[in-house]
Amino acid sequence: MNADQLIQYLSWAVYLAIFAQVSLRALRRPLAANVDIALFFVCSTVIILLSAAQAAGVVPRSPLLLALESSLLLSLPFLLLRLVDDFSAAPGWLLRAAGVALAIFIVITFATAGHAPAWLPAPELVYLIGLLGYLTSAFWREARRTRGVTMRRMRAAAFGCLWLTVQFVLIGLSLGARQASGLLSPLADLAGLLSGVSYYLGFAPPALIRRAWQEPELRSFLSGAARLPRLPDTASILQAMERGAATSVGAPHASIGLWDDAAGVLRFALDTEEYALDPHSGAITGRAFLDQRALYSDNITRDSPGTATIGVARGVRALLIAPITAGERRLGVLVVYAPRAPIFAEEDLALAQLLADQAAVVLESRALIDEAARVRAREEVARLKEDFLSAAAHDLKTPLTTLVAQTQLLERKARRMPDAPADLPSIERLVSEAQRLRTLVLELLDATRAEQGRLVSRREAIDLAEAAREVCARRCSARHPCDVVAEGPVIGEYDPVRILQLTENLVENAVKYSPDGGPVELKVWREDGWNHLTVSDRGIGIPPADVDRLFERFHRGENVDDRRFAGMGLGLYICRGIAEQHGGWIRAEPRNPGGSTFHVALPGPGHEGDHDHG
Amino acid sequence: MADAPILVIDDDPAILSTVTDILEFEGYQVEQARNGVEGLAHVAGALPRLVLLDMRMPVLDGWGFAGALRARGIHLPILVMTAAQDARRWAQEIGADGYIAKPFDVPALLLAVEGLVG
Repeated sequence: MNADQLIQYLSWAVYLAIFAQVSLRALRRPLAANVDIALFFVCSTVIILLSAAQAAGVVPRSPLLLALESSLLLSLPFLLLRLVDDFSAAPGWLLRAAGVALAIFIVITFATAGHAPAWLPAPELVYLIGLLGYLTSAFWREARRTRGVTMRRMRAAAFGCLWLTVQFVLIGLSLGARQASGLLSPLADLAGLLSGVSYYLGFAPPALIRRAWQEPELRSFLSGAARLPRLPDTASILQAMERGAATSVGAPHASIGLWDDAAGVLRFALDTEEYALDPHSGAITGRAFLDQRALYSDNITRDSPGTATIGVARGVRALLIAPITAGERRLGVLVVYAPRAPIFAEEDLALAQLLADQAAVVLESRALIDEAARVRAREEVARLKEDFLSAAAHDLKTPLTTLVAQTQLLERKARRMPDAPADLPSIERLVSEAQRLRTLVLELLDATRAEQGRLVSRREAIDLAEAAREVCARRCSARHPCDVVAEGPVIGEYDPVRILQLTENLVENAVKYSPDGGPVELKVWREDGWNHLTVSDRGIGIPPADVDRLFERFHRGENVDDRRFAGMGLGLYICRGIAEQHGGWIRAEPRNPGGSTFHVALPGPGHEGDHDHG
Repeated sequence: MADAPILVIDDDPAILSTVTDILEFEGYQVEQARNGVEGLAHVAGALPRLVLLDMRMPVLDGWGFAGALRARGIHLPILVMTAAQDARRWAQEIGADGYIAKPFDVPALLLAVEGLVG
């Protein structure tokens, strides 16, 4: 037995083995793709058997057998074209044209059996090689569009077409150059063997090869999974897991539906829109979730009537679904989509379940991280509240100390020296500390109302310019001359008590933070439907770092000496509450040079209730 | 020593005046200071027999004042008076001889003062 024969026998053996396997598969699962694959190998095997039988003299060489042999050979690229269509999509006109051409060739071949015209092999070769060229590029394009195992399968199919083309070219050459056929025909056999193996790997890879081809993507997904729970939000985590699952299986898309217990639906984020699926609607996805087992559908129109249109609109025909479950907690489902059923194999169900389990671990970790963050936030709120209470208590104790001690001292004095004249300085101190205590208590109450959004009650039409003048008249002094700039009345529907309080607070601050004296200027005007009020001073100003935190509860400026400027740090917090609860805003604007401006804007008439500004 | 004044250090003017009045009404001599730095200036002259010390003050607080005294090797009885809840711990921290929490009753203040100057 020479090398030529060895290659030939080996090639026959490989084709027979593949033929046996794909035929069995087609019988077990008669999907279009499985049948087409089986037909392809049936044709190849019959060609091999016929030529072997004729070579061995078992069957006499007859023109009819020869015609059958060449008809089968001509059918091969047509079957491959159908496989392209099974895996992605081949143009309809090409399928029809190739079918018609094949039929014509077969008719001519049989009609002229035994006396075939000399010109016939030429168009036959053009047909074969042309179609194979198209098939090679079609599978190669498909390989570039797909990922993971599917990409590798499509590449193998493209190589199969390439080797088959080479085989036909070599056969054509050997027909044309008889003297070289001794060298060319073993090479043609070798190309045929390679193409057979490539097609086998591409169209019907054994489970072992399939798993090996899935491994790189799966490995990369699993190794990155530990980082996923730390992604900024759940949507990013889901997207990363969907990408990883699709690539690992070799499908173009995957989607995770999270179980919403309150609404009783699975929520999917499809592209930009959200889709809610009632698991009891009969869709296969819902069944997989309810039964808690992985399911496979090669035809969603059949298995998910009702919801199939969504998938079909996205070019989906086959699904793998695996429940995502952590212990007893049903978190959702992982759905892997494919445009064509043969992209998946049954073994992929186990892979989908593995990926869904991984998703469960990631989602549970995320839930734990979120819970820890919530606990920290609650602790922070509790701590702030405690700080607030202890600061408030401290501030209240200071005037209270004077009140308690001073009244007890007056009592002692009155008992020991009943005839002594009234101690006016002590009484004045009592009055002023009592007022201080009242201010603090009212401030605390207002801060609580501000927090609860209950600062504004009765509204009526008031003139901001008039309010500004009223406050100015009360606060004006030689050290702090106060001036109001307003072109006319600026009317709005506001709570008059709160507007006066707001204006007074701002003017009081302007005076307080101009310890060396200086003018305070108020401006009131109307602009674009908003009423504006600014209060400007030439005092100590606001450090840039404080501008943003100025209106927070208990915040006081870096440059504010705690004892020199009495107050609890609640004034501006209350001012912000008053402005915002009127639908307006307040901000601080440092003045150049020196001093600060506080700017309040409130919605004017016809603008009430507009909360979009600020 | 019996004639030496009691030094009251507190940044709140109303409390400072009231405590001064209370002590003077009982016959004590009183010196006033509004923060630790002013307090140290008083100590630099004649030593007071007792210091009534507020803790949270601008410029130099109670801890700073007590530390400065220690650094100068001056030992004086100190009565901490503070509105903070940690009055007891703060008094221990600076090695004070006693503490009284604001707001206090006059008899309690006088009792504490007598206990330290007696």
